[in-house]
Amino acid sequence: MSRFEIYSPEGLRVDGRRWNELRRFECRINTHPDSSDGSSYVEQGNSKVICIVNGPMEPSSKAEMSTSKATLKISLNVTPFSSIDRKKRSKNERRIQEIVTSLKRTFEQSIIVNKYPRTTISITLHVLALDGGLLSSITNAITLALIDAGIAMYDYISSVSAGFYNNTPLLDLNQLEESDVSFLTIGVVGKSEKLALLLLENKIPLDQLESVLAIAIAGGHRIRDLMDKEVRRHGDLRLSKLANK
Amino acid sequence: MAKGIEVSINEKSFVFDALKQGIRLDGRKLEDFRNVDITLGDEYGYVDVRLGKTRVVARISAEISTPFEDRPFEGLFTVSTEISPMASAMFENQRQSDDELLISRAIEKAVRRSGALDLESLCIIAGSKCWSIRADVHFLDYDGGFIDASCIAVMTGLQHFRKNDITVSGEQIVIHSVEEREPVELSVLHVPICVTFAFFNPEGVEENIKGESNNEIYIVDTTLEEDLLKDGVLTVAVNKNREVCQISKAGGLPMDALTLMDCGRKAYDIAVELTNQIKKLLEADYKRRNEGIQYKLRAENDRITVE
Amino acid sequence: MSTLIIPGDSIPINQKSEQLIGPGLHIDLNTKEIIPINSGLLQNGNKSIHIESNSKRYIPQTNDYVIGTVTGSFGDIFRVSLSNFSSSVSLSAMAFPNASKKNRPNLKVGSLIYARVSNADPIVDIEIECIDPTTGKDGGFGLLEDGFVFDVNLAFARNLLFDANHPILKLLVQKCKFEIAIGLNGKIWIKTDDLKYTLACSKSIQNCQSVTSTRFKEIINTVFKELGL
Repeated sequence: MSRFEIYSPEGLRVDGRRWNELRRFECRINTHPDSSDGSSYVEQGNSKVICIVNGPMEPSSKAEMSTSKATLKISLNVTPFSSIDRKKRSKNERRIQEIVTSLKRTFEQSIIVNKYPRTTISITLHVLALDGGLLSSITNAITLALIDAGIAMYDYISSVSAGFYNNTPLLDLNQLEESDVSFLTIGVVGKSEKLALLLLENKIPLDQLESVLAIAIAGGHRIRDLMDKEVRRHGDLRLSKLANK
Repeated sequence: MAKGIEVSINEKSFVFDALKQGIRLDGRKLEDFRNVDITLGDEYGYVDVRLGKTRVVARISAEISTPFEDRPFEGLFTVSTEISPMASAMFENQRQSDDELLISRAIEKAVRRSGALDLESLCIIAGSKCWSIRADVHFLDYDGGFIDASCIAVMTGLQHFRKNDITVSGEQIVIHSVEEREPVELSVLHVPICVTFAFFNPEGVEENIKGESNNEIYIVDTTLEEDLLKDGVLTVAVNKNREVCQISKAGGLPMDALTLMDCGRKAYDIAVELTNQIKKLLEADYKRRNEGIQYKLRAENDRITVE
Repeated sequence: MSTLIIPGDSIPINQKSEQLIGPGLHIDLNTKEIIPINSGLLQNGNKSIHIESNSKRYIPQTNDYVIGTVTGSFGDIFRVSLSNFSSSVSLSAMAFPNASKKNRPNLKVGSLIYARVSNADPIVDIEIECIDPTTGKDGGFGLLEDGFVFDVNLAFARNLLFDANHPILKLLVQKCKFEIAIGLNGKIWIKTDDLKYTLACSKSIQNCQSVTSTRFKEIINTVFKELGL
């Protein structure tokens, strides 16, 4: 057990949040307009992620090409300075590869892939700082970068983690909480209750799963709204520049 | 171009039409798990699981090793799951496909990370000696359901396995042979059982994402043919104590949260059934073995009389 | 009378009459000896001699009737897969009745076709065609729509195709009416009016392939009963 009180009797968590509060969520799109077709920067609490999308473009090798749909290529780089222990994480680490595969399969369903046959969409991710919620911040960053790149998608995929501790569900865990609390990460499709992604790695009582999922979905919708706000803000900005000319 | 299994449009629409009517190709209901046939070997920790045509063999072994520096009080437990072309020509040597990765990660998470095996009980001398338990899973034949079958195999194997008894005196460890002392069983804390669901979307992606109908079909324990046609997959590992140890829905067809909850509950029912089946089998095996010992030790041994 | 032959055995042949050498046998051009290259039952007829064997992987032979799945199209050529994990064969868009540069058949990826192997020379690409070369008409070949396709072993598929009075088909006809295409590559396509009947027929055929003909009736009855037909 850690020295920290995960959830105090007064209903406060290590960083002073209530059980149903998200961390500060900041996002920007079009952060690298020159070097990429779509880019985004997401801060979820102290986790910071950059995502760069290039494509749809011609695949580098014919073997990657599909005649019916676009292929996704995701490369995830968790920088060594992102976490306290400065561990070099290899791209071939199985955990990283699993995340990459999961993301690929998630976005293959939400991008209208059959609109772009014989092309590749390449997604590059850099995790600058990691304070819990790796998968969720990456998912949100990809969604925003894909929107910036103008790639046809069915809807937002917003992702958030939620844990369960002492009979209370907790929303959006940070690193400290993640190490002590069993948690799940979901990817919600737009404003629906449909889950594109659901990963749980520790034990949660079956009967409590529903309450954890409910708070996670609510959190996912909130994040969707925040992302939508940023997309619209950026859209307005561009529109105003257009009007000036 | 990689040569694989080609599924025709005809098969696809046939399977979909059948599922809409609640029929599966092998005559099961949508929510039926295949019959699991578990065979225990003569040696401790050898388990042969057959799930329909799928066949998986798990072999548990133990050796003495040094613990990790950052975890001096814990033993080691590794699960090796390499899928060779022996199981199916789908799998290639030396190259791991995405599916294989997800299969081995799911087994690893369900069995190892859920703490099914009490690692602290494997410690012999803190920081210098511990037991290292290894589970080798061999995939002999493939007809879907690798995760489910190998999870059953490993968990049965861990409960069946006995490691040699040891005596510690100072820094010295004496390992007693099986003949000398009765070997001891591993401390298995709980038995997670994986159940895999496959999702089918009969109405197209647009309907799935935007529509209200929620007409997606889910089925339990897919065969290879169904596996090739599925739109999404969900693996739930759950134990008898109603604890969910692992859920993995790595992308695929977006599914309604309530449907996923239903899957969880179905998985629990199946897990209870399977845990009981494993328990009964182990009890029968224990009885058989112990009868054997009494038979050996009894006074009225069959003696060879020389005339 | 048939005898079991294993590669290495000598083949008893009648030197006086002329016999055609069939599958499973090979003539050594130097010694003029006939060598068995497959194990199976020796079928020694009046005019021909061959070994009836049952292998698992299909190797295309000229004039075989096969069922294939279209896996892609490149220019005027469709690639067709005859069996899993084997190289695909090619089907020219011109190898259809009334085909011309303007009038191309429209085959999507994943379509099932019934075709004839027109050229199975191992050094060049194997070709199939959906046309009867003697009449120039479709001759029953072409796109197979709806229905269901499943795998059986190669010898069984051969028996079923060449024996017009095969008891299984006779028995199935009594149950329902159906359309069937049998490919020598071990694939059978079947179509009935109702999904349940299609499933029942395919299950019956699959279950019958490993038993003797005396049990066919029993198996077919149980399969149909299980599906409530």
